[in-house]
Amino acid sequence: MKKFLENLTTNQKLGGVALVLGFIALFAGDPYGGTSIKVNEKDLALSTVGNADKISVNDLADWIIKDKADFELVDLRSEEKFNEYSIPNSQCIPLTQLSSSELLRNQKIILFSDDDVASSQAWFILKSKNYKGVYILDGGLDAWKEKVLFPKAPVNGIKDELDQFEKMKEVAKYFGGSVQTDSSITETKTQIKLPTSKSSNTKTTAPTGKKKKREGC
Amino acid sequence: MTSITKILTHAFEKDEGHVHIHIKEKPYSNPYLVGVGLGLVLLAAFVIMGRGLGASGALSTAVAVTVNKIAPKHAAQNNFYKEYVGDETTNPLMDWLIFQTIGVLVGGFISGTVSHRVKKGIEKGPRISTRMRLVYAFIGGGLLGWGAKLARGCMSGQALSGGAVLNLGSWVFMMMVFVGGYAAAYFMRRQWI
Amino acid sequence: MNAPFFKFEYFNTDVSLIIAFAIGIAFGIALEKGGFGRATILASQFYFTNMRVLKVMFTAIVTAMLGLYFFSVIGFVDLSLVYLTQTNMLPMVVGGLVAGVGFVIGGYCPGTSVVAFATGKIDAVVYVLGMIFGIFVFGEMFPSIENFFNSGFMGNVTIPSYFNLSYGLVVFLVVLMAIGAFAAAEWGEKKMSEKSGKEKV
Repeated sequence: MKKFLENLTTNQKLGGVALVLGFIALFAGDPYGGTSIKVNEKDLALSTVGNADKISVNDLADWIIKDKADFELVDLRSEEKFNEYSIPNSQCIPLTQLSSSELLRNQKIILFSDDDVASSQAWFILKSKNYKGVYILDGGLDAWKEKVLFPKAPVNGIKDELDQFEKMKEVAKYFGGSVQTDSSITETKTQIKLPTSKSSNTKTTAPTGKKKKREGC
Repeated sequence: MTSITKILTHAFEKDEGHVHIHIKEKPYSNPYLVGVGLGLVLLAAFVIMGRGLGASGALSTAVAVTVNKIAPKHAAQNNFYKEYVGDETTNPLMDWLIFQTIGVLVGGFISGTVSHRVKKGIEKGPRISTRMRLVYAFIGGGLLGWGAKLARGCMSGQALSGGAVLNLGSWVFMMMVFVGGYAAAYFMRRQWI
Repeated sequence: MNAPFFKFEYFNTDVSLIIAFAIGIAFGIALEKGGFGRATILASQFYFTNMRVLKVMFTAIVTAMLGLYFFSVIGFVDLSLVYLTQTNMLPMVVGGLVAGVGFVIGGYCPGTSVVAFATGKIDAVVYVLGMIFGIFVFGEMFPSIENFFNSGFMGNVTIPSYFNLSYGLVVFLVVLMAIGAFAAAEWGEKKMSEKSGKEKV
């Protein structure tokens, strides 16, 4: 056997190695294995969206203002709704298109929808696909509107509360919202004018939005 | 290196009417070993960058940027130029393929120098004039540039890189290059043999 | 550690340009060592006298394919993040034919012309000028052929996914095909050199 190997030319050895590796490939399985959904029922049943996986709207607002861009903000609603209004710097990936999106497994991903339902679903989908840093926006867009865009003035607030409210006023202004006083809430709740998303630097991905970067030659 | 290319080289030197005095150039390496080396380079590109190698893309960017400089309005109406120029948020010349192609230029020169293979000359068969060879080189370059753009890639970008990831279109492209090449080879035999 | 490194943002775009330069150097060395800097060698592929092009190219494809496949199977590389050029069938067929004809007429392909240029081949300089002209003509024609350029769209499709075969099987078949092609090439070269040897006498 040893003598046989020694007598082979370099080319024959290379060919042999290729042949052996090719043969192993027949049985080695699917190279896309890591990217298709492998649901381990037990794991999935045990994993629930815990508090650690939630991000409060105030934190998010703070990050956006400070231009902390180490996360991908994903709007799971339909594109029409996204075009109407969305949180600045978010991208629109409707729930149904989530599996074909270009999100990376190492990214910090913050999901949101109107409330927590769709984002929890999306959280499960991404977690089952081995995405590491997936978070949901606590309370969704409803909470965003209520707490960031149109915060309520505290009634008879103590000083601390009032100080905090001043800050929130600034935040609301930054995102184009306004402060609601008690009286105006009852009257104008339905007429709240959402800031137009055109002015903010939102970006869309699907389906006509961001072009895939050309990498061929 | 097989005997035939040596014969061709000798014939070429005689054809030029003078004998080069130079340090004997080294023969080219075993093609299979070179192939493994090239494959590892390609694999490194996949693993590090998640993309293959390319060549014609760099020239396309250069052409698009030039057109855009000279006639910006004209380029803005053309999707082909627009794609290579980009949205002007980034400099189109700070491009992966451009740097890679400059690397190829340097790498080719280093390897050629080490093996004493860098010398001015024209590659052709014995039966064709230098002028015709240059005309053919221009026509051939033009056809390849045009065809590679239509096919979304050249030998490096499509056949080599796409071949390794089993891209359907790349394999079709590769087969078609061989079909086109062998079909035209007969008519071009005076240039090469 | 997950690969492709760039897609997992282990380094930024500026660093990627340095890597591009380094990979380019290695690419250039490999091409030059393969003899791809000479049009006579490249063209002899089409006269069956010297099959280096086929040997180097298929060995490279097989090497990279096997490496990428096994890296993906063990979970090191996320294959779905490796760039795949979209397939547009008819434009690729036509483009391939035109490129093949151009290859024989010009004697180089884009990558090899750069190497030939670096090693002082004047025809390669002219070839590159021709290529620039070809790309410019394509660009000028683009509005009128844009529809054709985008026709036959099939998306990102691989041979295994199109023919519904397992990836491993296709890998094995490509290895077999390559080895078969190498054997045929060695045999053909021997035949051709015997023939030309006789003619010389």
